Amino acid sequence: MKCRICSKEAVKKYCELHEKAYRNILQKYEDWRRATTISWREYLNDILKNPCTGSWAKEVAERLILDGDS
Amino acid sequence: MVKYALIITEKPDAARRIAQALDRDGKPKKVEENGVPYFLAHRDRELVVVPALGHLYTVIHERGRRNYYPVFNFKWAPRHLAERGAKQIRTWVETISKLANDAEDFIAACDYDLEGSLIGYCILKYACENKESIAKRMKFSTLMKSELEKAYEKPFPQLNFSLIEAGRTRHEVDWLYGVNLSRALTLAARRWSGRYSTLSTGRVQGPTLKFLIGREKDIRSFVPTPYWAIKAETEIKKSTYEVEYERKRIEKKAEADAIVRACRGKIGKVKEVRVRKSIQKPPTPFDIGTLQTEAYSLFGYTPRRTLGIAQRLYLDALISYPRTSSQKLPPIIDYKKILNALSKEPAYKKPASKLLEKEELKPREGAKEDPAHPAIYPTGNLPERTLSDPEKRVWDLVIRRFMAVFGDKAIKQSVKVRLEVDSHSFFLRGRRILKEGWMQFYNPYVRTEETLLPTIKEGEIILLKQVIRDDKFTNPPPRYNPSSLLKKMEELGIGTKATRADIIETLYSRGYVTDERIVVTDLGFDIVDILSKCAPRVISVKLTRELEKKMELIQNNNEKRENILLEAVEQLKPQLEQFKEKEGPIGEALSNAIKRARMQERIIGDCPTCGTGTLMILYSRKTSKRFIGCTNYFKGICKTSFPLPQRGTVKPMGKTCSSCGWPLVRAQIRGRRPWRLCFNPSCPLKEERRKPNEM
Repeated sequence: MKCRICSKEAVKKYCELHEKAYRNILQKYEDWRRATTISWREYLNDILKNPCTGSWAKEVAERLILDGDS
Repeated sequence: MVKYALIITEKPDAARRIAQALDRDGKPKKVEENGVPYFLAHRDRELVVVPALGHLYTVIHERGRRNYYPVFNFKWAPRHLAERGAKQIRTWVETISKLANDAEDFIAACDYDLEGSLIGYCILKYACENKESIAKRMKFSTLMKSELEKAYEKPFPQLNFSLIEAGRTRHEVDWLYGVNLSRALTLAARRWSGRYSTLSTGRVQGPTLKFLIGREKDIRSFVPTPYWAIKAETEIKKSTYEVEYERKRIEKKAEADAIVRACRGKIGKVKEVRVRKSIQKPPTPFDIGTLQTEAYSLFGYTPRRTLGIAQRLYLDALISYPRTSSQKLPPIIDYKKILNALSKEPAYKKPASKLLEKEELKPREGAKEDPAHPAIYPTGNLPERTLSDPEKRVWDLVIRRFMAVFGDKAIKQSVKVRLEVDSHSFFLRGRRILKEGWMQFYNPYVRTEETLLPTIKEGEIILLKQVIRDDKFTNPPPRYNPSSLLKKMEELGIGTKATRADIIETLYSRGYVTDERIVVTDLGFDIVDILSKCAPRVISVKLTRELEKKMELIQNNNEKRENILLEAVEQLKPQLEQFKEKEGPIGEALSNAIKRARMQERIIGDCPTCGTGTLMILYSRKTSKRFIGCTNYFKGICKTSFPLPQRGTVKPMGKTCSSCGWPLVRAQIRGRRPWRLCFNPSCPLKEERRKPNEM
């Protein structure tokens, strides 16, 4: 199976590198939810706009928004 | 024919200095033969001082073609047999061989370290035909006349063979790794694509790139977490001061809002005023690593540049030998003499005189030692030529650091005022220097900020003028820069003080990393990805460090060269076999990576017309002429294109035009200065330039 973002060999949905970013996104959502009331969608939009977010994490967030993953 | 002593030095400048110092009249005769300079000096006997050009000999493949691997048979040979651009080495070796024929005594006077010892040894063994066993060794740490004379009068009776053995082993092991792995990569890519591209990795280069990638992965997959801070200001005696909330980080937004509501516009009471004195010891003398770090943070010089400048200052006898790990300054260098000499320069007169007034001059020293050389220090000599600005800066830095290490401890006072507002605490901090101590000698390179507070007493009432919530996010780990990377390599114990800076430059020149705040390129990722799958041991930081430690043991006669070489071959062999088995897929992956890297190099930026396409340097199929075009052209969406100069090279600059914001390209024609080109035909800057011509 190919990565849904970069077409490299996928581990699950994504390649090893994007998978790492995806796991980070999932994990950090818990912190965001504890810190402020925020929906998954808002969270994805926020991290997409944030200049501190890494490029792979942004690519995954963008993909998740496009896929309507909620 | 008069017999003479042949003195071999590492560089032509060192040969000139040594000849000048040893000649009875200080005026040696310079002779040039086929472009190779050497010096005739007269002292107690005739002396011929001949320089090398760094390494004249290198490790090469003993026999066979260049396009296969693994190769484990090697020999030492003149560099011109291995490197295309090293033709002059042939005449150099021939000249030295000729001079060796009539010499009755041989003295190695190369730098007293691993590389210098090896340079001298190879010349004595190969160019002078096995004179290494009878040669003497001069040891010096500066090119000052007095020190050179001493080193000549009392040379070591023989070369330092353990240092030479350590140097030889290092070169041989590096060759085994470098040639085999680089050939494996290059050949895999060439066999797949039919095109040649230089790909390389090495014993230290691979592990360095690997830990850079570790950091890059953390940065690229980083997701920030929000947190909040409380920013507050207070007014005391008509001056505004910033105060810190008791907690630097508040995890919940609602909690931060509650604190702001509770404290805004409130009056606080001073509960505690704590005054503390702290002592700051003088800095330690520079070893090469700390000099490189300091020059990077103060002047932005890369480690390699600093090393080059320091080397020039050493050859001008202005500073001591820079490739040292020592942070010690032994009294034998004569501190007073150096300070007296420096005081002749107006800029150093006052601080040097102040130090000379001290009863005892005792430097603060660091823990690091180097058996061959002391820490870097100024010789006290003043420049005989006009120094360039970077040279002046590094020289000044070395002088001021040298003076600072003899200074007294500095005393700082810090004041911490605790202000209570309801049940919340805020802190007001002040900082001042009570006694400058060593700092006065290290100015302007001291980095310290003073915050002076008015007199505040416990029980005093203070108004919190402003309290606001500051929205913050956690940051990704910082990127390495050449200086912090060098420090990290030193910490990890990979590479040597002489090679680390070059390894970093190689990573740049191969296109594995880019930018000053180091970003690993896709090609860099692919190289490490392939190596970690097929030859993981060769990029292991742990194994590299272990090998490094073993090589250090050779220097102390605790390990043998043969054992290390055998270990290197045993490590490499299975890894290379594994590599060969998978050469096809590796070649494909590498070729794709190279292709992507080449495409990446041609990307200019976003298309300003359609907004969705990317502008690239393209080549016309009809005319083969280059131009800038939008990638959406191939989808039939955008026809934007711009002409480019057809001569020379054109590269994207990664910057935008200050006037119109369009991406810039850098054009350069050989022999001319490069220029930046904004290809926007309606750029206001171009319009402005046109106007005077029209008038």
